[in-house]
Amino acid sequence: MAKQHKWGMVVDIDRCIGCQACVIACQSENNVPINEEVDFLSRRAKQWIRIDRFWEGEYPNVKARFIPVFCQHCDNAPCEPVCPTYATYHNDQGLNVQVYNRCVGTRYCANNCPYQVRFFNFFNPSWPESLWNQLNPDVTVRSRGIMEKCTFCVQRIRRAERLIEGQKGEELTDQKIKDGNFMPACVNACPTDTLVFGDLNDETSEVVRKSKSDRSYRLFAELGTEPSVFYLKKVDPAAKSH
Amino acid sequence: MYEGKTYSNKQINDDLLSSLTKSSLVYWAIVGTLGLIVLVATVAVAFMINKGLGVTGLNRPVMWGFFITNFVFWIGISHAGVMLSAILRLSKAEWRRPATRAAEVLTIFSLMTAVLMPLIHSGRPWRLVYWVMFPYDFQRGIWMDIRSPLVWDPAAVNTYLTSSILFVFVALIPDIAIIRDRSSGIKKIVYSVLSLGWRGTTRQWKFQAIAGILLSALILPVFVSVHSIVSWDFGMAIAVKSWHSTIFAPYFVIGAVHSGVSGVVSVMILMRWLFGWQNYVRHEHIDALGRLLLVIAIAWFYFLLMEFMFGIYGQEGDELATRHMQLLEPPWMWFFIVFIITAFLFPVPMWLFRRVRRNLWLMLITTISVNIGMWLERLLIIVPGLARKQVFTGTWYTYAPSIIEITIIGGTFAMVLMLFLLFAKIFPLIPLFDIKEGQVLQDKIKVGKAEIPAVIREE
Amino acid sequence: MTSYKDKIQISVAGEELSASIVTNDIANNFFAHRRSGRMALFLFGLIFLAGIVAFITKAMDGFDSSQRANWGYFAALFAFLLSAAGSAPLVAVGFRMTANHWRRPFARISEIYAVVGLLTIVCLMPLLALLPPIGDCSSGPCRKTLWFTSEYWGVPTFWDFAGLLALVVCGIALLLVSALPDIAQISALSESKSRPLLSKLTKFWTGTQSQWHIHRISLSLLGGFYFILLIGVQTIINVDYVMSLVPGWKDSILPAHQALTGIQAGVASVVIVAFIARTFGGYKKYFPMESFWSISKILLALSLLWAYFWFAEVNTLWYGRMPVEQNILKLVMFESYRLPFALNFSMNFLLPFFILLWNPIRKSVIGPTVASILIVVGSFFMMVRLYVPAFGIQDVTAFQITYVPAAIYPDFLDLIMIAGGISGAVFIYLLSTRIIPILSLWEVKEGLLYQRVRPFLRGEYQVLGKPK
Repeated sequence: MAKQHKWGMVVDIDRCIGCQACVIACQSENNVPINEEVDFLSRRAKQWIRIDRFWEGEYPNVKARFIPVFCQHCDNAPCEPVCPTYATYHNDQGLNVQVYNRCVGTRYCANNCPYQVRFFNFFNPSWPESLWNQLNPDVTVRSRGIMEKCTFCVQRIRRAERLIEGQKGEELTDQKIKDGNFMPACVNACPTDTLVFGDLNDETSEVVRKSKSDRSYRLFAELGTEPSVFYLKKVDPAAKSH
Repeated sequence: MYEGKTYSNKQINDDLLSSLTKSSLVYWAIVGTLGLIVLVATVAVAFMINKGLGVTGLNRPVMWGFFITNFVFWIGISHAGVMLSAILRLSKAEWRRPATRAAEVLTIFSLMTAVLMPLIHSGRPWRLVYWVMFPYDFQRGIWMDIRSPLVWDPAAVNTYLTSSILFVFVALIPDIAIIRDRSSGIKKIVYSVLSLGWRGTTRQWKFQAIAGILLSALILPVFVSVHSIVSWDFGMAIAVKSWHSTIFAPYFVIGAVHSGVSGVVSVMILMRWLFGWQNYVRHEHIDALGRLLLVIAIAWFYFLLMEFMFGIYGQEGDELATRHMQLLEPPWMWFFIVFIITAFLFPVPMWLFRRVRRNLWLMLITTISVNIGMWLERLLIIVPGLARKQVFTGTWYTYAPSIIEITIIGGTFAMVLMLFLLFAKIFPLIPLFDIKEGQVLQDKIKVGKAEIPAVIREE
Repeated sequence: MTSYKDKIQISVAGEELSASIVTNDIANNFFAHRRSGRMALFLFGLIFLAGIVAFITKAMDGFDSSQRANWGYFAALFAFLLSAAGSAPLVAVGFRMTANHWRRPFARISEIYAVVGLLTIVCLMPLLALLPPIGDCSSGPCRKTLWFTSEYWGVPTFWDFAGLLALVVCGIALLLVSALPDIAQISALSESKSRPLLSKLTKFWTGTQSQWHIHRISLSLLGGFYFILLIGVQTIINVDYVMSLVPGWKDSILPAHQALTGIQAGVASVVIVAFIARTFGGYKKYFPMESFWSISKILLALSLLWAYFWFAEVNTLWYGRMPVEQNILKLVMFESYRLPFALNFSMNFLLPFFILLWNPIRKSVIGPTVASILIVVGSFFMMVRLYVPAFGIQDVTAFQITYVPAAIYPDFLDLIMIAGGISGAVFIYLLSTRIIPILSLWEVKEGLLYQRVRPFLRGEYQVLGKPK
């Protein structure tokens, strides 16, 4: 029997260059509709992973800081108990999953998410006809009136389990995830290895090693949400000299 | 404090049942206009369900807006019914008598309207109906998540609605019997069925009285729980700091009573003018309600201060930003100024004066002003809290309602008033038996040379 | 209707009374100095002295804000006295405002509690010195307070003290104004010249109509002020001495909850004294069953309200599962101080609720009294579970508490201090009843004007006058 996984991610802020490749990768992998200008202006754009930019310092010594934010798959997720229909719940692999069929669109989960990573389908999604063949057949297209969010590309995790654990009967190790390209699309696309994906239950994996770094922290730790995503602090040589 | 004349029972029947038999042109004009507004709002709802919630002004930080504000508002109005009927019945306040039925009926109709709000506000109302009516996914054994405040909510509201309807009905039975005796034809049959064979025997009166008192006592916990649970829809959210406040439950309840009793006063004054019940809805009743409102408003203000003070107490960035938005950023600051003036600073000092409390015009203006303020209060809690959620400043935004939302909100007000007026066509809005009972219990005491009004106390 | 002969009775079952009977009764009772009264005065005075000695002994060990952990029980005692005795006058204030006849025998009993305020002022003074500094947030560690910053003048000690002082002054003024007609009558009746001061004080009171008019207006004004001041003082005391000492504790209902517990304890302490006055004081006929019946309904309602406020607090804090809120719940309720909490919860809500749930018990004298004793004791434990842990926390300037501090148990001196403080309150109360009669002459007599018993068929019924 395969051992229990607990999927997690490490985001090394020090490496992030704010290139938005992860955003595009996520968009095409997960059938997220194309955001137009009007969507951004009305604050209804859907980006399962977004890159928040902060300015640090005073002119002329201004630095841009980037922080990719996506669903933190909290072990103690505030969005879960407030859903009346169990549309969002915690599965046994540490994932915070969204069941589209159950969702009735109360949007309470979005209100109670401190990370602002839940998105509501205000209208039915649409693509230009030329992109219809681009849609990912493994991912449901969400209709209007329901919530959606980052799934850690659960379709890829399932494929890995099916191929490696199911067909070959082998253990799904860190290396095999990397070799088989089973990481979430954003991790795949990241040119600087900012994002690292893996099994937090596997003591040898890179995620566990990195998450134990002394630079490691979690967003809004004081809220006690216990996220599965670890962030590594920016290494700032200038800050030391101060 | 009995200031009215004493009437024969027949006179009371004739007067108070006049709304059933006679109806002026003004009445039908009002009902027609209201019906038209409701129709337009219904079309707006249909359009919204067809297109999706994108036709509203909602956005990513502000996922709840006008509809939820309106939901809380109408739930608040619905608190007047029990507040007046049950509490005042248990505490044997004589002046409650003409106000009870109107308050209870207002409760029922505003609750019905309130329930509509979260229904149409959800992303997939057809699914929600299915889930509220029948347990979700019954075959697969997946039930509602009772941890969610949104499950507590319908449970409490539906209990309240059911018990309020029972409450009204129990009090209506003797009155229905009178209408039955005065009607003929098909109407007689309908009222006969509704009156449950009431003949006014001692035994029946005893049962009716016991049922009334029992329901009063049992409905009180429901009354408190409903708005507490509505407040916990907000209070349970840890992500929105300005919502996560322990005082929310009593604060919402007292606020609801504040707006609800004001609503009843407005409705009573309008009713008095529309149906000509000058001898039944008297200045002394409005005066007593005004004094009650004074106490409630001051208590409510204390809770408001506490809520606000502890918003700043934590000195956390997002919470301070929320308060900043409420107080200093237009248009919210204008809403806040209007709110604090209309809900407290304008009406409450006025109620201190007996002259104001006995002036119907001023009471109408002040009580309507309270409800304008209380509507804004809910908006100011809901929207700025969401718009300044947590410290991801990039996601901060504001909210502006769309024309669809405004139409629907207007429709709810029209609907409550329309239903209220239609009710007056079918049942009396002032309990006949209660007025008669009040007359029987009047007495006088001689103190020295003066005669003062007195009340007979039942054990 | 008026063809019957009306009987002047307080209740259907009561005796027939008249104004002169009331005056004689109360005056006789007042002048009869019983030996048991003197004994009680002596005994409570002795315990009070012991408490003062215990306080001094303890203060010798060390008395500054770094050692405040030792003084938690003293703070709890102060808060208890403020809550129970400070809120008691509200019985008279509130029900006089709503013109309830049943309040008449309770009115003076509740007003005399205002003199205990003198003791609470004395208790507050050392506590002011124990409060740790707020600090300046811009330049160093600071703690969060109701006053936001320490820049303002007199924050927080002066305002705490001034608030309490205003409350006590207002309470005593309320008592004196209310008792003025009675003192005048008593000193007129007293044969000896033993009360020259009082007769001088009341010489101008002749009972004219305009005097009564002013009397009534000042009573309602003072009552309104007292109510607002009490809620305000309870709020600032609670925030300054409990919440702001526990880092990360943001609990907006707690001040209101303490104020509510105070009102509950206040009503209960009035019932206890009423029971003693009725059973041992010879005032039996002035306490009709309706008085106890009505006040026990109030007690029941307050118990339910207490549970409601408590649940609103716990539900909100518990549901979010934030670590700091979990720690605070564990601290004041479920772990460190679970014993005081269990006593508090059962005595303020569970037991009184189940006792007062039954109408036959409500309609008795002993039932509400037992419930009241429970409530008063329970309120003390409420203050213990709030003030003792708050005083026990050292790192008040931290961002949040990340641990659950252990409980602090009282030592021998604490126990003596608590006994001494409560005895002191009783002592002051007993002393005041030697100057002011415990039953309000004018209010009882006013009640006789408005209450009649009329025959009806085979029975009798009561008619209550409702003057404008």
